[in-house]
Amino acid sequence: MVNLEFNEDQIDALKEFINISIGAATASLANLLDAFGTMHIPKIEVCNSSELAHKIESTIDLKSMYYATKQLFTGKFGGECMFVISEVSAKNLGRHLYNVTTPSRDDINDAVIELTNILTSTIVSRLTQELNTQVQFFVPSSQFIDAYSIVSSEDVADYSKIIIISTILDFKDQKINGNIYILTKDEAIESLRVLIDRKIEEIYG
Amino acid sequence: MIALKYPDILLDSLENGHMIIDDKFIVSYWNRWLSINTQIPKGEIIGKSLKEFYPGINYKVLYRKIRTALVINTPTFYDTNSSTKFISMNRNKVTTSSLKLMQQQVTISPYILHENKVMVSIYDISELFEAKLLLKKEIAKVIRLNDKLEAEKEIIDKNIMMIKTSLSGVIIDVSTLFCQFFESQKDNLIGKNILIFKSPDIPEATYKELWETIKSKKSWSGELKNKTSNGVEKWVQTRVTPILDEYGELSEFSAVYHDITNEKLLAQLYITDPLTKLYNRAHFDEVINFIVKHQRKADVGFALVIADVDYFKSINDTYGHQVGDEALVSVANSLKNSLRENDLVARWGGEEFVIMLKNVTLDEAKMIMEKVRESVQKIKINDTISVTASFGLTKYIIGEDANKTFKRVDEALYEAKNSGRNRVVIK
Repeated sequence: MVNLEFNEDQIDALKEFINISIGAATASLANLLDAFGTMHIPKIEVCNSSELAHKIESTIDLKSMYYATKQLFTGKFGGECMFVISEVSAKNLGRHLYNVTTPSRDDINDAVIELTNILTSTIVSRLTQELNTQVQFFVPSSQFIDAYSIVSSEDVADYSKIIIISTILDFKDQKINGNIYILTKDEAIESLRVLIDRKIEEIYG
Repeated sequence: MIALKYPDILLDSLENGHMIIDDKFIVSYWNRWLSINTQIPKGEIIGKSLKEFYPGINYKVLYRKIRTALVINTPTFYDTNSSTKFISMNRNKVTTSSLKLMQQQVTISPYILHENKVMVSIYDISELFEAKLLLKKEIAKVIRLNDKLEAEKEIIDKNIMMIKTSLSGVIIDVSTLFCQFFESQKDNLIGKNILIFKSPDIPEATYKELWETIKSKKSWSGELKNKTSNGVEKWVQTRVTPILDEYGELSEFSAVYHDITNEKLLAQLYITDPLTKLYNRAHFDEVINFIVKHQRKADVGFALVIADVDYFKSINDTYGHQVGDEALVSVANSLKNSLRENDLVARWGGEEFVIMLKNVTLDEAKMIMEKVRESVQKIKINDTISVTASFGLTKYIIGEDANKTFKRVDEALYEAKNSGRNRVVIK
């Protein structure tokens, strides 16, 4: 039986690693996309897979259309990074990155994918660096969908537990904001727990 | 670690395009796949800027992606679904291709960081993309069909009374029209047993026949009287169909109802005497003529009775027509209540009633009629007026014309009247 519960020390350590990773991602975005943004303090939740859709729907405006970009990463700590950005914000991002007044759907998709890739790579790379492990990233894919279609219940039916690490990215000047979710499940949660324990042991002896 | 001796051979043998460029877009490697698919030989492009060959690429975006790869030391990607091609390449597939140009997945991986060099890899994902397009088309088709189905389902839901139950009769689903008809809400019905609609007026034998038919995986059709949630009785033409699972075993029952309450009411009015609520003469004639015509063994063993209220004219003259009517209703109720369930009693006309006692011998019939006579004798209109009746009784003789039976029973009644009344005379 896989232990999917985290104790207080593990949660505290994970929060600390995520904070460091989020900080690194903010710096990367400023450097690479010339956009100075802030990211909110991340929220870490362990929930049943059936609750995922509801959790995500509760953090976004249900009336908007969204670009939802998903990127997989594999390794000892594997999972999926999802960036959800509203149609309006995505247009602003396309304008900013492509330097055009009216970005095409292709421009917007590419811009969203680029932003997601930087976020995922920086956050997950930094997190896994803290945990002394490596990951491989896959090509992200983006979909333009309504709020209720971001996570389909059939997609997550086979998992038992999911960790949701979520934060909000906000570029005030460019009027761009979006929600980032790092999702990982079952065996990867167990691996994460082991990696965190090892790191705690390494730091505190 | 073993260094690769011939990396060029390795990269040339791959079925993807690989080039190495720096942040000024100068090409320092160009593999065989790219030479073949772009028609630009290695010797022609190496050392030159990609811009010379492909001025259409958005170099601002490419530069940003190269920088990202170099700064965060991770691969960067172009959108694989984009209709804008990184490098436009023809597709040579002849059979059933919806793509003229190759759909590409472009990955920019960090190569030599201090020289600002990256490897740009191009993968042909046309087959996958085509499958995706096809799937999208098919999904759109399914959505259209589903919408149509939903619209039709809504029409059915609002216009057809349908109910679905488990094998034990627990209601699983009902249509909107069903709910309206039975004056209830869907939520209140689901989970309840279908027996809540059962009317005591339908013989148990009917339900038994229904149950046995559907249990043997056959459909049952027939008329049922049901009760709404407010206790209103309604008639429905019913068809119950068993639903079988993938192994051919019973899984559920589905029933479609059609409201026939008005038709039933009209039919009832047509055969009912308005005052006594007994059957009328027309219905009795129809039944007896049917029996005589068909001579079915199960039907012909009946006895015929005509009853006449004694001194009815005197009751009418003394107490008025209203009391006279009350006397007729009381006699009718007394007859109905003291006869057996399957006997047929009708108002023959005026103060006369006709009775068909089914499957009886003459002795049995005499015994039954004596009890009926006694029952009539106990009637007291307004607690004071006594009523009696005289009865003529005869047994139907198999094969005879009904007129002959009526003639005999008339004679018997005549005799009963002339021999003191309040008696049963047999002929």
